[in-house]
Amino acid sequence: MAAAEHHAAGPLEQFSIEPLIPLNIGRYDVSFSNSAAFMVLAAVLIALLMTSSVKRGALVPGRLQSIAELLYEFVAGMVRDNAGPEARKFVPFVFTLFMFILLGNLLGMIPYTFTFTSHIIVTFALALTVFVMVTILGIVLHGFHFFSLFVPHGVPKVLLPLLVPIEILSYLTRPISLSIRLFANMMAGHTMMAVFSGFAVSMGVALGWLVGIAPLLLVIALTGFEILVAAIQAYVFAILTCLYLRDAIELH
Amino acid sequence: MGSGFRIGVDVAAALAVGLGIGYLLDVWLGTKPWLLVVFFFLGAGAGILNVYRAVMGMGYQVGFRKSGGNHDKAPPERRDDG
Repeated sequence: MAAAEHHAAGPLEQFSIEPLIPLNIGRYDVSFSNSAAFMVLAAVLIALLMTSSVKRGALVPGRLQSIAELLYEFVAGMVRDNAGPEARKFVPFVFTLFMFILLGNLLGMIPYTFTFTSHIIVTFALALTVFVMVTILGIVLHGFHFFSLFVPHGVPKVLLPLLVPIEILSYLTRPISLSIRLFANMMAGHTMMAVFSGFAVSMGVALGWLVGIAPLLLVIALTGFEILVAAIQAYVFAILTCLYLRDAIELH
Repeated sequence: MGSGFRIGVDVAAALAVGLGIGYLLDVWLGTKPWLLVVFFFLGAGAGILNVYRAVMGMGYQVGFRKSGGNHDKAPPERRDDG
């Protein structure tokens, strides 16, 4: 994040993976990296928030319990509205996904932290989990009939050999676009913030603080905007998961 | 800005998937440039389809038939009883 002032190594420095506990299994480097550390931190924070807030289970919720209940009801409502009532079983899945991405995005907004959602491999793994799960769910629920998803409705038979591959490609696009959307938003936002905070320092040093304050004000505005993007992208990921779930469950 | 970016990503992703599949099939079957070309155009088609669906408000559903007159399969009252 806004680390460009300190190690003036460029705006992409913040994305570098550093092994905290080096570890090799066979030929594979499975070091516990800063990325993994922040994933663990996010998971622990979610678990703490959810368990500590519902432990007391007060009828009139306190602050933490309110947060937990609001988040849960938000996700449960989203799943009900977008994936249909039969998708209620998947509320925990979507909730976990949403919270993990939200915490990953928001933790990255704290200076000196690492944003694990700014790495495509992380977002792609999440998107692939959704994709594989939805596909298996569709096949389990509908059997071979699931593949009628790829046959568009009301199309002349002559065109089917052309349209079915296009539909299949469109289906395979899902994990790619889902992961690129989250990764690109986070990476672009954090790079932009680092670049502008770098401007603030260099312009302030070279042209006086009166000039340097302009990019600083911009960074302040960008910080607010990035917090918004962090929440929106977690929401978009979750809502698209819901739409895919509805596809697999209802199959139109 | 958000929806424009979303739709742009959809086109690029469809093209990338098409090119990737075409290239891998080419390597596998030894038909060097041809499947790449074919899948490039299929990927472009899929990208246009994605854009069409996104713009027409049909969500991201593959083969989604909302406007195809198939409403009776999912009666609207099911949305309320959840």
